[in-house]
Amino acid sequence: MGCSEDEDASGDGKVTLKFWVFGSAGYEQLAEEYMEDHPDVNIEINHSEMNDLHNNLFTSISAGSGAPDITMIEVSAIAKFMEAQDRFYNLYDFGAEDIKDQYLDWKWNMAESPDGSYLIGLPTDIGPTTMFYRTDVFEEAGLPTDPDEVSSMFQTWEDFFEIGKQIKAETGKPIVDGPELLYNALRDQADQQYFNENDELIIEGNSAVKEAYDFTARLIEEGLVGQNELWTPEWGNAMADGSYGVLLAPSWMVANVKENAPDASGKWRITTMPEGAGNWGGSYIAIPKESEHPEEAYAFIEWLVSPENQLTSFKNNGLFPSALPVYEESDFIESTDDYFGGQQVAKIFSEAAEQVKPVYMGKNHAIVQTEIVNALMNVVTKGTDPEAEWDEALTRIKAQLERQ
Amino acid sequence: MNLNTDKNKMKNISIFTARMTEEKKEMVTGYLYISPFFILFTIFGLFPILFSFYLGFQKWNGLTEMEFVGWANFRFVLEDPLFWKSLYNTFIMGLLGTFPQLVVAIVLAFALNSALIKFRNFYRVSYFMPYVTSTVAVAVVFGVIFSEQESGLINVILSWFHLDPVNWTTSEWGVKFAIAAMVFWRWVGYNTIIYLAGLQSIPKELYEAAKIDGATLFQQLRYITVPMLRPFIIFTVFLSTIGAFQLFTEPLIFLGRSYREEGITVVLYLWREAFVNLSFGPASATAILLFFIIIIFSSVNVFLANRIGR
Repeated sequence: MGCSEDEDASGDGKVTLKFWVFGSAGYEQLAEEYMEDHPDVNIEINHSEMNDLHNNLFTSISAGSGAPDITMIEVSAIAKFMEAQDRFYNLYDFGAEDIKDQYLDWKWNMAESPDGSYLIGLPTDIGPTTMFYRTDVFEEAGLPTDPDEVSSMFQTWEDFFEIGKQIKAETGKPIVDGPELLYNALRDQADQQYFNENDELIIEGNSAVKEAYDFTARLIEEGLVGQNELWTPEWGNAMADGSYGVLLAPSWMVANVKENAPDASGKWRITTMPEGAGNWGGSYIAIPKESEHPEEAYAFIEWLVSPENQLTSFKNNGLFPSALPVYEESDFIESTDDYFGGQQVAKIFSEAAEQVKPVYMGKNHAIVQTEIVNALMNVVTKGTDPEAEWDEALTRIKAQLERQ
Repeated sequence: MNLNTDKNKMKNISIFTARMTEEKKEMVTGYLYISPFFILFTIFGLFPILFSFYLGFQKWNGLTEMEFVGWANFRFVLEDPLFWKSLYNTFIMGLLGTFPQLVVAIVLAFALNSALIKFRNFYRVSYFMPYVTSTVAVAVVFGVIFSEQESGLINVILSWFHLDPVNWTTSEWGVKFAIAAMVFWRWVGYNTIIYLAGLQSIPKELYEAAKIDGATLFQQLRYITVPMLRPFIIFTVFLSTIGAFQLFTEPLIFLGRSYREEGITVVLYLWREAFVNLSFGPASATAILLFFIIIIFSSVNVFLANRIGR
């Protein structure tokens, strides 16, 4: 902090705001624009990788020194930092209530304390999940390839199962790349996931999560699930080869698909997935308590996440907006993508975004997720008994939760 | 004003130094020269070590208040089958990665030291290269070589011998073998260079004398080379044991962040506890246990290595 005080003193009354960002949000450009309109504010952007940023933020908050004035936090880490409410400003104290209506409810709620009195961050982008599919695989299996027809064919997960069998019979290919995304898609459609709002584990017995697990295991046993683990090189190759039919993925996966399968342009399409949608990823912007200029910081971030600027971030960097007014903009909703055969992809994703169910994730979400995915990977690669794997995963989960 | 005080200070210092004897001055300079190490070591070495011992008895997630819990953290760890599994994994991978590696390193060093081989310097550099390669890069490349797919390099080689492809990242022995291979590849050159230095420190006269006495090549190896190399063997065994127990980066990168039980090592286990699950207490308890395990194993290994060549 010593440093920023010095700068304040020497910088002819200028307020310096340190801003930590990850990913390619394009906030540098927006910050420049803001500084032009607000000559008394100087924004210093520090760019790092997402996990590094979370670790550094955690360390500095834990140590009580070194945190920036403004920071991005990804949704997966938001619950962890919510535990340290006393180290972040409550954005409701700065009038965040006034802009609440502009944003998707479920997105906003995830940064709010369960009683709704505290808000840790303002929403930026989201990752609504939809169904990416390969037209060549669908054709080979004798299925229609038009997005609307595909969508009406995949009404329920039972339909998904039956079509999976058809694809397997006709082409010998699995319907999905691997177990994780299928399981995630099912999980995200549940009203409750791993924990209730008291952070108690609620997956035992007949939970929605267990149903999602069982359904995934059923598809695995029919040979309808590929063996790819997410983010491995093989997984990337499979995307280019078209060795499976369907990828249940969020909006930002568009960039990954294009990168992994540059030659498959025109072969992929996007449509809605059965029985709703989910969300994976997206961030928030928070103000650590160490900041000496929270009001200036808040003014900046409120501007930064405004509908107009979210539209800019979408156009320049593909960050999918969480601000509802953007969905009304014609140059957003009518934007097309040649890679996906000229489809209006933003429209499909925004429809999915509005279907996402609000859900409490809890700070220990990642522990449960890792173990369940490991169990499913065991079932798919080693052919072990799903029930036995579930029980073992549960034991491992409990052993870790006991220490929290 | 400032100038005056500075002058006064200078005066004080010169009086102070003048009072010191030459010997004392030298002593102070000496300590000043070595102080950076000790200051840095205290901050980044000693303090974390002591703090771990303290944390081992606390419940702490890094954000909330610490809470004293006595031996509970140790009980969590010792009752966790995954901890024992990680210890077993570490032990097996250490054995697979270390023992053959030291034997091969001795043979390589012997070959490099003999007059028969041409381009010796080229080979020395080549063998040492893996050591200066980034571990992360090694793990990524090995991840591709030991790919699960039938098109993975090792699986293709296996298919030439009509063997089934192996699930390198999910099967019990596949994971261990792949990680041990990484350790082997990375460290064999380092140990070779150390043995080579050892071999070159053995006086030629000993061999000459032995030859005159009619000793065979094997006898020379058995009674001169190995006994003379003993300090070097002890050194490498000692470092390899510690290194094996600290195996971390390779399995982390190779397995991704799945922490699968086939490949989790003790350090990976404690790292997951601390920085993924934010249970700093059990993580510190694991670190303390590991500290004692390393002491025990290093002592046993050094004791055994000491008997080599006797």
